[in-house]
Amino acid sequence: MELFRETHFDFLKYRWHAIVASWLLIIAGLIAVFVNKGLKFGIDFAGGTQIALRFAQRPDVDRLRALLEQAGLGETGIQRYEEESRNQVLIRVQQQAKEGDVTSQVLDALRRGLQEPIDPAKIDINAAGRDVLANRLSAADPDGPAARGETPAETYYARIAQTIVDRRGQLGVFSSPADVDATTASPAVKSWIKANAYAGPFVMLSAESVGPQVGKDLRSKALWAIGASIFGMLVYIALRFRSLPFGVGAIVALVHDTLITVGLLAILGREFNLVVVAALLTLVGYSVNDTVVVYDRVRENQRSPKKESLDAVINKSINQTLSRTILTAGATLLVCLALYFLGGDVLNTFALTLIIGIFIGTYSSIYVAASIVSIWNAWSRKRAKVAVVPVPAAPTAPEAKRKSGKR
Amino acid sequence: MSKRVRWRVLLILVVLIGAIAGFLLTGYRNAKKDWIGEGNPPLKEAAKHAIRLGLDLRGGIHLVLQVQTSDALRAERDEAAERFTAELRKEGLAPTPVPPPGDAAFAVAIPAGSDESKINDSVRRMLGTDWTTSAAGGTWTFRLTDPARRAIADTAVSQALETIRNRIDEFGVSEPIIARQGEDRILVQLPGIDDPKRVKDLIKNTAFLELKLVEAGPSNNRGELEARLTPDLELLEARPQPGQRDSTYYLVRKAAVITGRDMKNARPGRGGQFGDQNHVNFFLTPGGAAKFGEATAANVNRFLAIVLDKKVQSAPRINSRIDDTGVIEGSFSPEEANDLALVLRAGALPAGLTYLEERTVGPSLGADSIRKGIRASVLGALLVFVAVVLYYRNAGWNAVIALILNGILLAAALSLFGATLTLPGIAGFMLTIGMAVDSNVLVFERVREELRAGRAPRTAIENGFSKAWATIVDTHATVLLSAVFLFQFGTGPVRGFAVTLILGLVISMFTAVYVSHTIFDLVYGRRQHIDALSI
Repeated sequence: MELFRETHFDFLKYRWHAIVASWLLIIAGLIAVFVNKGLKFGIDFAGGTQIALRFAQRPDVDRLRALLEQAGLGETGIQRYEEESRNQVLIRVQQQAKEGDVTSQVLDALRRGLQEPIDPAKIDINAAGRDVLANRLSAADPDGPAARGETPAETYYARIAQTIVDRRGQLGVFSSPADVDATTASPAVKSWIKANAYAGPFVMLSAESVGPQVGKDLRSKALWAIGASIFGMLVYIALRFRSLPFGVGAIVALVHDTLITVGLLAILGREFNLVVVAALLTLVGYSVNDTVVVYDRVRENQRSPKKESLDAVINKSINQTLSRTILTAGATLLVCLALYFLGGDVLNTFALTLIIGIFIGTYSSIYVAASIVSIWNAWSRKRAKVAVVPVPAAPTAPEAKRKSGKR
Repeated sequence: MSKRVRWRVLLILVVLIGAIAGFLLTGYRNAKKDWIGEGNPPLKEAAKHAIRLGLDLRGGIHLVLQVQTSDALRAERDEAAERFTAELRKEGLAPTPVPPPGDAAFAVAIPAGSDESKINDSVRRMLGTDWTTSAAGGTWTFRLTDPARRAIADTAVSQALETIRNRIDEFGVSEPIIARQGEDRILVQLPGIDDPKRVKDLIKNTAFLELKLVEAGPSNNRGELEARLTPDLELLEARPQPGQRDSTYYLVRKAAVITGRDMKNARPGRGGQFGDQNHVNFFLTPGGAAKFGEATAANVNRFLAIVLDKKVQSAPRINSRIDDTGVIEGSFSPEEANDLALVLRAGALPAGLTYLEERTVGPSLGADSIRKGIRASVLGALLVFVAVVLYYRNAGWNAVIALILNGILLAAALSLFGATLTLPGIAGFMLTIGMAVDSNVLVFERVREELRAGRAPRTAIENGFSKAWATIVDTHATVLLSAVFLFQFGTGPVRGFAVTLILGLVISMFTAVYVSHTIFDLVYGRRQHIDALSI
């Protein structure tokens, strides 16, 4: 199968259209950032606390919000996430003025509000970790020394505690202590749990808290990393091609890709976190990668004995690499689409960033990086003419036209 | 098969077998460490443990703490002030303490007309070169020099690190990471821990234990006690009992009878009227026991406050001389008593800690992420395989083999280097496949061009590889460069992504060029004339 066989598109013909389109995209992104008063930062960069919970029953979001407000935690963002049926909730709490364990405050407030007062000696099997379960079980020792044989109580009950925690992982959340019936624990252990434990209203899936100082540090670190990697690319291109227009073209394309991707993410209302920055940095590599393939070909074609104008060479090179460009972009895109649809919440924005980046990066290799080399060349020729340097009578324009005529 | 090709095939097979063996052996070694079942772990378990998983996949806690180094400075300041004034008194001078002007400075008022040479001698003997001296209007101010201040802060952070390490070790966590980060930060990563509150309290607990004689109290009337305050006394709040609303206060002597440093060991125990109270028994060093025995003998029938982190835990009456053991009572849960004994054993923190960052991932979320990541990866890889085979037919299979080999080698490299696989790392794994296929595409497109230009298939293949080589190096170099910056920038999950990407790219140079070339040689090598190339 072949998609493109010896194509002869005149890509450079549309370079001015492309420049307008690029600027429009960049400006749209800037407007979105401006309207939203800056980028929407996740807690990695903004600071604050974010907790993911899974409830046994369908959670009443308004009730949860009221409980947290009563606890004096200020404005909280609560939203359902992933599939409805999972009863999962994401709670976002702002940076608190007073230092303290915000996660525990949130969990305590919710537990107090959502369940009847319970004997503090009982354990919550939706909150207890393996260690706590193992400790309590080995203190009570429901199976007795005879059943354990040689094994020390701690090891014996650690194994049982593990199966109970694993079961919780499978179910997502225990609805009642009777759910432990499905584990391999002995009847004595099961009845001990039913007598001494209860199922709290939710399981904590994850909790993240980032202080303001760390958020600020990460922000500047992220900017630094993006800036430094762009500079690194500049150095690489400069060394590799030893040519100013090529270097400038690649870097302008790179900055262009980054700006447009950030802008589109802002328009789509996506949050910026560490993982998105990782995707942006990957994009820096991908964008230059794509540009370099075209440049390499331009260089190679320039060395050929056949004398052609630079524009013709550029057009020819883009056409020659077109198949590869589309295929590689397509393959990477397939991977990213799979991650986008199946990878879960964390990888969703990551994959989206790359998907946008692949489209923009492919487009910019042709229309930004290559166009700049061509425009630079045209300008420097004009200036050379003014300086009365005799220009070899290369039939630039007519040849390009003739070539593109085949289209 | 020519000799050259035979050697190439042999090398590839050796690498492949070595990779699989390395992967499984690492897996067995890791699986054995936390295998709690009987006998040896099965193959399935070994495969699961071959690659170390990041906290976001296996669950656990990631903490960044800041050491309040100003605490250590203040402690040093108070100690130096006490030493110095005691020395001045010994010299027959009459110094009076003045409120300290800062965290790293103290001041003493010395009556005018005192012998300055005596003061200067005391300064030299007691304070040395760590302090700068200035005097104005009878008030002498001493300031820690910058190098001394830095040294004290540095020691405080190292000590805090050591103390935290001791506590975590006592608590029993497998493969913890406890490391200093920057000037005053400590990074703690505890895989597999699913009770964040307990661990956080355990680490943060300053555990500064002091036993002090009670002068007055307990009382709910703070004002009344405050009125009786003198410079050698202090007012302390009691740890609230459950259900208690008003705070209770004690007036105690500032100088402690003994502190946590005099402690040899501590153990949780049970006692109380019904044997249902959890408490902590402690045992003193010989030096501590001597001090304690003397003080308790002299103060029989008085109350002794057990002060933990400036809060009075309990204040039992001294019934008789006590030498080397004591009890800390309080309404503890079994876990609390256990953890308090643990921190007392592991030693006190030299300074307070604040949490700058904490991330907890529960085990079920991690397992869910793995499931999703793998599902997306398998589908993504299959889509790429299908696309490549449709597009390049037989040569497409060549690329598929190279990609699969790339995947196997990458997994082996991750396990052998002990790299950590994170959720973004799984995405990096996938992205590697997307980018590795790029090298194949670059070569195949070149071969097609050569064929179109009328070259014989053999020549087309050779030219295709040699002409694409420079570009392949370029494309790898650019992405590698950005991955290195990513590694520098990232912590945790993001760093895992960078590592996977870097390893994957390096491996793809081998698979997409060397292996793919060898496969072409194998398939078309024997025939002298190839009529058509399936590409």
